[in-house]
Amino acid sequence: MPFSRETLADYLAKSAQGDRNAFALLYQKSSGALFGMCVHLLGNRDEAQDALQEVYVQVWHHAGEYHADRGTPLTWMMSICRYRCLDVLRKRQREAGGDNMINSLQCERPGPMQNAMASIDRHRLNDCLRDLDEGYRTSIEMAYFRGLSHQQLAQAMGQPLGTAKSWLRRGLDTLRRCLSQ
Amino acid sequence: MKPDHYERGHALAAEYVIGTLQGKARRRFERWMMESPRLRRQVWYWERNFQPLNHAVEPVVPPPQAWNNIDRRLFGTPRQAAERVAPWRWAAGLAMVALLAVLVWTPYPTAPAPVVGYLGVVQDQQSQPLWLLDASQKSHELTLKALPTVPAPGPNQSYELWLLPTSGAPVSLALLPTGGAELRVTLSPDQLQDLLRSRHLAISIEPAGGSPTGQPTGPVVYQTRLVSL
Repeated sequence: MPFSRETLADYLAKSAQGDRNAFALLYQKSSGALFGMCVHLLGNRDEAQDALQEVYVQVWHHAGEYHADRGTPLTWMMSICRYRCLDVLRKRQREAGGDNMINSLQCERPGPMQNAMASIDRHRLNDCLRDLDEGYRTSIEMAYFRGLSHQQLAQAMGQPLGTAKSWLRRGLDTLRRCLSQ
Repeated sequence: MKPDHYERGHALAAEYVIGTLQGKARRRFERWMMESPRLRRQVWYWERNFQPLNHAVEPVVPPPQAWNNIDRRLFGTPRQAAERVAPWRWAAGLAMVALLAVLVWTPYPTAPAPVVGYLGVVQDQQSQPLWLLDASQKSHELTLKALPTVPAPGPNQSYELWLLPTSGAPVSLALLPTGGAELRVTLSPDQLQDLLRSRHLAISIEPAGGSPTGQPTGPVVYQTRLVSL
């Protein structure tokens, strides 16, 4: 990845002090990753751009709240970004009248999870994801990368709602136990 | 009910991060997070651990108007991102001193009569030479010779020499000597290749010992595109 942790941290710290040039650099270095996530989750560049703008307004106003426990600066910004996009997805679903299935679910190219597992060698998460039962792993993937609700997960996996919730919960619990080993 | 139980907190935090905790439950959890340091740490735990997944999503360059809109919303004065995102390049444009360098080299190993070195001369505005750069393609060595005319960079400051690749961030090559001293630097194959490809060099003023971030932080006082002979 073309990101230097120290550099982003430096830009973020300067942004917190009101340095607009540092903020512009922060945007230049990170906006591709964040916009990519918005486009992926929302599937619509106009909505993705609106979300991206909200994210960076938040980043500017809250830059001073970043600290190392949040992960890298990119982790922190990406979290803000994902939560914003999830809010947009939920709002869209409410306006559409509920948890309707998403057509793009039928698209079964190699998913981001497969790509991630191929690209995050030596990371503990990689091993732990591989060890998960397929149902658990799939439920985590669909939730994280497609922003699905419990109801949508159940539909996508052809399982009762209770089963889908249970798989997700058990998958996450197993993942945490593995990560903490 | 507030999730006082550690395991329950983790379960909710995980579903908050991946997004399946929704609606009123999500808002309620956010209020609990504000009250509970432990719950916040549990959320951060999941955010950190899922971060590698974010790399799996292909980056997409946002359209220019995205930045303009952000700039306008925050500061009311949209400017071109390109003008603002590279202040050290901008500073270079205002450099007080021009760098004149002469390059003598061959970029192709198969070319006839290969030249094994190249030379650069850094001059100030009065065409006074400041540094001589002498690089050997064969030995991968870059010799930096400071002439007595190099002005002192100021207390607790250093001159830092940067290679500007054709793409990507500047690469620090060395802290430049002053006061007639000479320094010999061995370039990595990648650095040499980037240098021959881009021929761009810049010199910035940094804190003593060099930039603390690995990127130029101070004003760029000299910049040039090397000329091949």
